[in-house]
Amino acid sequence: MQIRNFSIIAHIDHGKSTLADRLLQATNAVSEREMRAQLLDSMDIERERGITIKASAVTVLHRHRGSDFMLNFIDTPGHVDFNYEVSRALKACEGAILVVDATQGVQAQTVVNAYLAINENLELIPVINKVDLPSARPEEVAMEVEQVLGLKAEDCLLVSAKTGRGVPELLEAICDRLPAPRLAVVPQTRALIFDAQYDDYRGVVTYCRVFDGAANPQIGELGRVASGATGSLKVGDKIRMIGTGRTFQVTDIGKMNPKPVRVPAVGPGETCYLVAAIRSLADVRIGDTVTLDIDPAAEALPGYKPPVQMVFCDFYPATSAESKGADFEKLREAIEKLSLNDSSFTFIPVHSEALGFGLRCGFLGLLHMEIIQERLEREFQTEVVQTAPTVTYKVKLHDGTSIDVNNPAEMPRGGTYEQVLEPICKVEVICPNESIGEVMKLCSERRAEFKTQQVIGETRQMVSFEIPLAEIIYDFYDKLKAMTSGYGTMDYEVVDFRPNDLVKVDILINGEPVEALSLICHRQNAEFRGRLLLRKLQKQIDRHQFEIPLQAAIGGKIVARETIKAFRKDVTAKCYGGDVSRKRKLLEKQKEGKKKMKAIGRVEIPQEAFMAVLDQGE
Amino acid sequence: MRAEPGGVSARAVFAHPITPPEALYIHTPFCAHKCHYCDFYSFVDTRDQQPAFVERLARELRALAEHTRAGVSLGGGPRAGGRVPLGSVFVGGGTPSLLAPRLWERLLVAIHEHFDLTAPGGVPAEFTVECNPESATPELLRLLRGGGVNRVSMGAQSFHAAHLRTLERIHTPGRVGRAVADARAAGIERVSIDLIYAVPGQSPQDWRADLERALSLSLDHLSCYNLTYEPNTAMTVRLARGEFVPAPEDDELAMFDLAEELLTAAGLTRYEVSNYARGGIHGPHACRHNLAYWRQGGWLAAGPSASGHLRVRGGAAPSGVRWKNAPRLDTYLSRDDGGLAPVCDLEPPDPARALRERLMTGLRLSEGVDALAAAADAEAAAPGSAARLRHCAQELVSDGLLGVHGQRWALTRRGWPLADFVARRMMSRVGEP
Repeated sequence: MQIRNFSIIAHIDHGKSTLADRLLQATNAVSEREMRAQLLDSMDIERERGITIKASAVTVLHRHRGSDFMLNFIDTPGHVDFNYEVSRALKACEGAILVVDATQGVQAQTVVNAYLAINENLELIPVINKVDLPSARPEEVAMEVEQVLGLKAEDCLLVSAKTGRGVPELLEAICDRLPAPRLAVVPQTRALIFDAQYDDYRGVVTYCRVFDGAANPQIGELGRVASGATGSLKVGDKIRMIGTGRTFQVTDIGKMNPKPVRVPAVGPGETCYLVAAIRSLADVRIGDTVTLDIDPAAEALPGYKPPVQMVFCDFYPATSAESKGADFEKLREAIEKLSLNDSSFTFIPVHSEALGFGLRCGFLGLLHMEIIQERLEREFQTEVVQTAPTVTYKVKLHDGTSIDVNNPAEMPRGGTYEQVLEPICKVEVICPNESIGEVMKLCSERRAEFKTQQVIGETRQMVSFEIPLAEIIYDFYDKLKAMTSGYGTMDYEVVDFRPNDLVKVDILINGEPVEALSLICHRQNAEFRGRLLLRKLQKQIDRHQFEIPLQAAIGGKIVARETIKAFRKDVTAKCYGGDVSRKRKLLEKQKEGKKKMKAIGRVEIPQEAFMAVLDQGE
Repeated sequence: MRAEPGGVSARAVFAHPITPPEALYIHTPFCAHKCHYCDFYSFVDTRDQQPAFVERLARELRALAEHTRAGVSLGGGPRAGGRVPLGSVFVGGGTPSLLAPRLWERLLVAIHEHFDLTAPGGVPAEFTVECNPESATPELLRLLRGGGVNRVSMGAQSFHAAHLRTLERIHTPGRVGRAVADARAAGIERVSIDLIYAVPGQSPQDWRADLERALSLSLDHLSCYNLTYEPNTAMTVRLARGEFVPAPEDDELAMFDLAEELLTAAGLTRYEVSNYARGGIHGPHACRHNLAYWRQGGWLAAGPSASGHLRVRGGAAPSGVRWKNAPRLDTYLSRDDGGLAPVCDLEPPDPARALRERLMTGLRLSEGVDALAAAADAEAAAPGSAARLRHCAQELVSDGLLGVHGQRWALTRRGWPLADFVARRMMSRVGEP
């Protein structure tokens, strides 16, 4: 039997999951009745947003030119935030299907995902999808693929995942054009963990790609080089994770077809799911290597990289002060449960003077953050206030050490550090020719360094920049979409940390610094960012009997100031015998509203005001 | 306690051991026109209901006097036979001057039949009737004087024809001076007029002219009200619809200050947020009846929508019972509990509430509130309140809104326009409402 391991990669909405479903159907792995749209996406939220969060591996058998083929295909997330998931999924493959929408052409994520695959030395099969649509322009899009990605236009397959057109040809290409897995290079078992999911009943289910060890007798020759091998992987084996050194007993091993099917053993070249009484996702490192405890491999497979959280924000329970304690516990429980099936975000409890108890969470990127927030609200019915996202800064101290700062409150005082480094992204923007000027302007406002410009077809261009991550987590994507009438796409990847003139901006209310509102930004933006926040605050705080200065300051130097004028008139004209009860009730009611006030010095601020100023929800 | 109209009558008030009332308020609901800013219970008079109303009123006055005598004796006071002595009577509305003269005669007879307006000290009771310039005829004024009325409160509102129109007042500017002169000619010495400022379109200069015109009438008492957009009035709906632009807050404040400046220069003293009198709060021109309201005195109430308050004996700190008659004429006419009126609202005695009311109304007066008594009563009503109240007062003093004069808390010049703010703060320190 021959084996083909491949992924499908695409820009969002270009039809990756539909194509995966169609391939399953074409290999008779799924009956018509079982077929439901986007079968590989197991979470509701994925289905609704039309995106895939978790990668899954599915194995099907296919007969081609008289030979049996085992096709293992590995679904990958489409979004850049999950680049790490994409790249580790790609490590388990020898080839990839690059799907491009015939109406939309090459987009930013197409480019970034294609480069990821090329960097892993995968064989690419470009597929132009949705050719059934009247607005499809397959020839032009094929030219774009050649122009931008260097893949030959004539190698592009024309497919409609919706109607099934071109799918048999695609299956042929998978068998004919994608390379077979490499042969085992060491006799000991080595399998790469490329995904893991948490299951309420079975604990952690890991997905592995076996590279080395003894041949699976059903498959044959792949293990032949490794003579003297002790075995590959089967139920009852005691396995060891090379990275963590932990051992577990395998209780179940099998393949998703797409339903789980137990198999006696797996050998080199195969993918499988593996259950081994692993209680928490925290016990598994994606990218780690599984070997046998009885005869462990000396070296791990290359590829382990811990996921790096790049974007941070705080979640606070969005409820009244009274029920805050209970709501915080509810939020914490929800986050803990979420972390069971997404180990790539971090969280630590924080306490803010203004907002009470909350959690500071770290995410792979902006979409990741949005998804977690949405899952919190949808799956756990917890309403949260989400603060403005920040990035991780590296602060080099005088003694040569450096610390990571992802909360402005933790920024050391001025003068106690050498320099602050910020994450820099390589950003690819693809947009229509006519909006190129505006896009350039937007990027230059965001401290971008222009890199390259490339023509795509007749109507579009791709421009590359290096932009600080902090500049794109803040409404950059919305602006880009708006100025390109929705046609612009972008993708980014953190490539470096560079020193810059970054400062902490303190926010003072009536002279009192409010830590929860402080922010870190480039010195040249301090006034603008500070003023924006002060103006929001100004709208939220009621006038007092004294004037309230609102200030933004860098190390004691005021860079922006707004004022809440003192109110001068608050009096009822008439208060006679018949007015007493009504007016008393009115004044008492106005007073009651004050219960949820937070006092900053002598200024009373409604709890909701902090939320309104910090909340990025709307 | 919230009662269904007609379900509970004022009888429940007199189940409490009350102290003798000082005053009586009578509400007449008839108007020639319902002005769109007004939120008092009133409606356009069709004349046909006046006689029934006055007869019903006479029965209520009789019942009030009877129950007062019984209630006072229940409270351990002397069982007094005969007429109930009062320090003041106030007939308001509506437009009391719209009542037909022969009905006025009937009402005056009823008042004197049940109440004694000749105080033992020799100072006769203050007897005020609200009048509108257009209906205050010399004949009516003479009739009122003959019935013991010694004070009129004239609804002048403005001397500027355009602003009168904006307010939907039906009289002409010149009519006010004549009505004032007629009242004096009839022998009614004490005449006060009401003015409204911050009318849409009114400038501080217009307001100055109004004040000067009022002062030219040699008045000893004047009420100056900032136009208020009360909920559920036609004018408030129009404001919400954007039919006109309200006076800017800066102008309101300028007019508030201008009134004080001009009236003080003319010898009148602000003794309440909106009221000025020659000789101030302790002088002979301050409205004794209104002071009873503001000092938590006891007063009886008659007529639909009228509110009353009677102090009760005993309790940890001073307190009283408040009630409001049902606010509809037909209910008032049809439900008659031995003469007593149906009530729609009845608040039993509550010392903490009483103190909050004292702070609310007392701080509107130039004399302010007795700090020692307030602190002591706060502590008695809600332990721990005294320290909170004093601390709050200190903060307000340091903000320059409150002054301490002879152990009394009183608003400063800056505090006057912030009276509600100050009251809200102080009230919030007393008990749990």
